[in-house]
Amino acid sequence: MMARRVIEIGLLFSQSGAYARISQAGRRGALRAVEAVNADPAIDITLRPVERDPQGNVDLYRPLCTEILRSTSARHVVGTTTSWSRKEVIPALERAGGALWYPCPYEGYEASDRVVYTHACPNQHLIPLFNWVLPRHGARASLVGSNYIWGWEMSRIAHDLIAEADGAVLSERYLPIGDTDVNRLIDEIAATRPGFVLNSLIGPSSYRFLAAMARLAADDPAFSPERCPVLSCNLTECELDALGPAAEGVISAGPHFAGYSGPAAWTEQPPGGFDSSMEGAAFRAVRALARLLSHRPDAESLELNELLASDAAAGIDPATHHMCQPGLVAQVRRGRFEVIEATADIAPDPYLARRHRQSPSRPHLTVVRP
Amino acid sequence: MSGAGQDRRHRSPPDLGGRRAVILHRPNPTVEALTRQLTAIGLEVAACWPELPATALAADYVFFDADMGHDDQFLWLPGAAPMPLIALIGSEAPGRVAWAMKQGACGQILKPVGDGGVYSALLIAREVFDERAALSAQIADLERRLGARQTVVQAVALLGLHEHGEEHAYNRLRQLAMVWRVPIEDAAHRIVAHGRDPADDSAPPRHRRR
Repeated sequence: MMARRVIEIGLLFSQSGAYARISQAGRRGALRAVEAVNADPAIDITLRPVERDPQGNVDLYRPLCTEILRSTSARHVVGTTTSWSRKEVIPALERAGGALWYPCPYEGYEASDRVVYTHACPNQHLIPLFNWVLPRHGARASLVGSNYIWGWEMSRIAHDLIAEADGAVLSERYLPIGDTDVNRLIDEIAATRPGFVLNSLIGPSSYRFLAAMARLAADDPAFSPERCPVLSCNLTECELDALGPAAEGVISAGPHFAGYSGPAAWTEQPPGGFDSSMEGAAFRAVRALARLLSHRPDAESLELNELLASDAAAGIDPATHHMCQPGLVAQVRRGRFEVIEATADIAPDPYLARRHRQSPSRPHLTVVRP
Repeated sequence: MSGAGQDRRHRSPPDLGGRRAVILHRPNPTVEALTRQLTAIGLEVAACWPELPATALAADYVFFDADMGHDDQFLWLPGAAPMPLIALIGSEAPGRVAWAMKQGACGQILKPVGDGGVYSALLIAREVFDERAALSAQIADLERRLGARQTVVQAVALLGLHEHGEEHAYNRLRQLAMVWRVPIEDAAHRIVAHGRDPADDSAPPRHRRR
């Protein structure tokens, strides 16, 4: 039995607050991966997690990240959920020479040399979603979102895609994180009758909005999922229990959905798979980190760009620190997400700069459902 | 609840994929950090020092060192760069900032360059450059039209100012400009060059230009 190096890694996931379900899924994925790594005889390291809980309070992320980097030997931190909190910790990483593994979908326009992005960026979630919806439901849309960079930037990109398709944005509203006063959003959608709604609300705002949309659809079939679907790039299985029947028919894009094993599915899933992409992306972050550290003495003290300059980094683009992802579109049917379209291997383009230079990306794999 | 803060006028960001950026700076970590950021965004990057090669004329963006730079490094006169320039400023001394502005810098990044700053500099520089170019074109057009005042007066005289009055003659000029689909000033220029109202071509010229 070879001696295993013990390496501390930081976990920075909120156990409470508006987006606790997502961060708890990420934490679960990271801890499952630690367990898998520590039981893997092919790997010569043992990971020891060091946890801090920012409780969904954006002002706690930077001090807690600094505390991990200062008071422990951990150089790699897995976590943060909102873009706001990710941007908060980057200066702390720069000062202490640390790295963040970020396991959530985000709005792009970032490629920090201190961060590895293991979930999807817009060319991997929003663009496959629009490639699916525009031919089916037209380009007259309503946009709703949480009042911070995720909501704003997703709507801005949607504006671009809708303008390219000669469509129109019929209404657009933002709610502060945690706000559940959705009446005005619903009134505007009911009045303007869009072909679809892009929902970039997070947490309780989103739950209340989807419940109200379900009531609207019950009153008026023009708003049923068949005629006016509600789309999202941040809704996953980890929030379905908060939604109940209101989730039925909702459409979401992401790199993975529970149970999906069709074309382009994530490989190397643990037994039982992932309950959601939020869990899976955190699991894959820790797994990739362990591969990079294993059989490389002192690799834990390398700067991130040096660490990634290795064959084991396969899957992490050295230019952008993002990963190649499948682009899945799924619909909630009978309480679970069913994948309705899959695009394989979408290379990351976090600044949407390469999009116009590629042939229009068409899904080349379609999941056929009876 | 708020819809405010979001600009309703929608403007797409510029297409940056495959665009060429040239960095005029001695090799050092600033060049590495800039190259990393530009490559991540999707641009093609070339660095050079101490002079710009002729190929830099085809660049879409030029980043230049404001600390050690001088006029002779460029392929164009100060202020006449054919693409947006972005100044790399280390020393914020007024003389160096003034020199960078004289070059026509459309944006700046402070040195040492770290993990960010390039994307917003590209967007701002593109917007500033395009706006300046549009303003320059507008000013040149206005100057040309201002310079054509005398020609317009001459044309109105040729079109019967004395026989039919100012309003009639000016309306005739506008009518011809509309038929020819050219600005009033261009129509006036044609009439003056022709020496009379084209409708009078069967009649002897009223006025012969020397």
